[in-house]
Amino acid sequence: MKNVIVYVEQKKGATRKVTFEMLTEARKIADALGGRAVAVVLGAGAAAVAEQAKNYPIDAVQVVEDSAVDTFLLDPIVHYLEATAKSVGPALLLIPNTLSGRDLAGRLVARLNAGIAADVTEIAVTNGRVECVSPKLGGALVTHCVLRAGDYGIATIRPGAFAAVPGGSGAAIERHDAQGASYPLTIERDVEEGSGEMALEEAPVVIAGGRGMGGAEPFTTLLKPLADAFGGAVGASRAAADAGWVSYSLQIGQTGKTVSPPLYIAVGISGAIQHKVGMRASGTIVAINKDASAPIAEFADLTVVGDAFAIVPELTKLVTAAKQ
Amino acid sequence: MKIVVTVKLVPDPNGEKKIDPATKRLVRTGVETVINPYDEYALEAALQLKERIGGESTVTVFCMSPESLKESLRKALAMGADGAVMLSDSSLEGSDVWASAHAMSLALKRIGFDILIVGGLTDDGSTGAVPGALAEFLGVPCLTNVRKIDIADGKVRVERETDSGYQEVTGALPMLVTTALTIGEPRYPSLKGIMGAKKKPIDMLSVADIGAADTVGATGSKTELLSFAPPPARGAGQIVTPEDPAAGAATILAFLKEKKLV
Repeated sequence: MKNVIVYVEQKKGATRKVTFEMLTEARKIADALGGRAVAVVLGAGAAAVAEQAKNYPIDAVQVVEDSAVDTFLLDPIVHYLEATAKSVGPALLLIPNTLSGRDLAGRLVARLNAGIAADVTEIAVTNGRVECVSPKLGGALVTHCVLRAGDYGIATIRPGAFAAVPGGSGAAIERHDAQGASYPLTIERDVEEGSGEMALEEAPVVIAGGRGMGGAEPFTTLLKPLADAFGGAVGASRAAADAGWVSYSLQIGQTGKTVSPPLYIAVGISGAIQHKVGMRASGTIVAINKDASAPIAEFADLTVVGDAFAIVPELTKLVTAAKQ
Repeated sequence: MKIVVTVKLVPDPNGEKKIDPATKRLVRTGVETVINPYDEYALEAALQLKERIGGESTVTVFCMSPESLKESLRKALAMGADGAVMLSDSSLEGSDVWASAHAMSLALKRIGFDILIVGGLTDDGSTGAVPGALAEFLGVPCLTNVRKIDIADGKVRVERETDSGYQEVTGALPMLVTTALTIGEPRYPSLKGIMGAKKKPIDMLSVADIGAADTVGATGSKTELLSFAPPPARGAGQIVTPEDPAAGAATILAFLKEKKLV
């Protein structure tokens, strides 16, 4: 391993914050290994994202605006990343630890005969060896793992774990022609639900509701105004998603999303282990719960015992006033 | 149609998880072994598929696990699988994602399948990368996070969940599918199923049978686990019972101001 390749996940010209976190970290690793840092952006809208990526301290951004990326499931991305890895030479690949990032990483493990470290929160290069730190078992343990000195290694990167700092003198943008190939899985329809909302994993403040909400309505009438006051996003526990009050895309926990915002406010959530593992890495945790003995009180920084339906509107007013 | 489901045997997720400091592997003694809960959804999807398609369809469960855990696999047979195949070998211990997926692919090539259904995640520290690597080693398309499967004339149409909604995707058999939890709650084994499971076959495969020798275990792996430790504990903070809602809200605001979060 000598070089670093960053996979930039994007859709229609929009990317996530984790992209810039990876681009920043890629420079440090590439310098420690004595190699190049290269980003890869694929699909419709790739050129626009490349313009943003070049403001980070990498050497080059490869762009392929192939419409196949948006009409076939994942295979075109696997193809282009494999091609980039082969042309760049031995490299560590940084891939965001997102739903599709995890799928992509698995495919490349086999294509490149690579070792993988998943959900990585720290990377160090010691005597030319890449060491990765990852929380495991829902954060119950932290592992240090070495990617053996094969040609390729893969690290899936936890969003929010690394800082994003623009820099460098403007990366070279290299445009490549689309292959025009066909792939086995065709995307017939791509349906966005809850579009226009901030991605939960990227929100600086998450207001999450649980069983105590009692229905779908409080998520829009109680929690959303508080989230808006903070400039944050609304999330939910598994109980709320299972009850059909919110879409599963809002579910935080072992079987849902993992978030680590600077501020997490849990409203009417008991804090079962299934939920805890999805949010325990948050900076500050505040709980509003009618039960002082709920498990969440054992790890929240502040637990206010009382009626959420009365406290949250008051808090929304105070936060709105404080922000003005 | 031959439907194969991979399952993993894991320590009961509701039990405490421990790692042996010497071997750096999960401690399995003293903790009940169960089928990975996510894999029960994969099995449920397989059983529903068999019921819909009918005819000569079979559901075979594949499991890579120590032979000593064999009886924990009976639940899958009790739920309705027709048979099981276990890949068991002490040399498999310590296999990483690459080595595990590679060994599994060699066994699954021997077993053969039209559709291979895999649980979405594992509960014991896996990475979510195994299904993708497995599909590549098997040379079949990989459709992940699926909540609905329709198969007609070898053509597959699914609905799969994405970060922001869902997609309809089409492809052709053979393929690998991973299941989302929304595919349907796993059934409970019936009494008849439990009785019948005792007579169903669990066939054994060894590393020699699949010809994997030097690509398995810690030596065949592409990663090496250096150390592990519990993270710094997150202690309990303040618990406040305010006079009234306004005081509760004021307490929170003051706390957030102190932390510079407002």
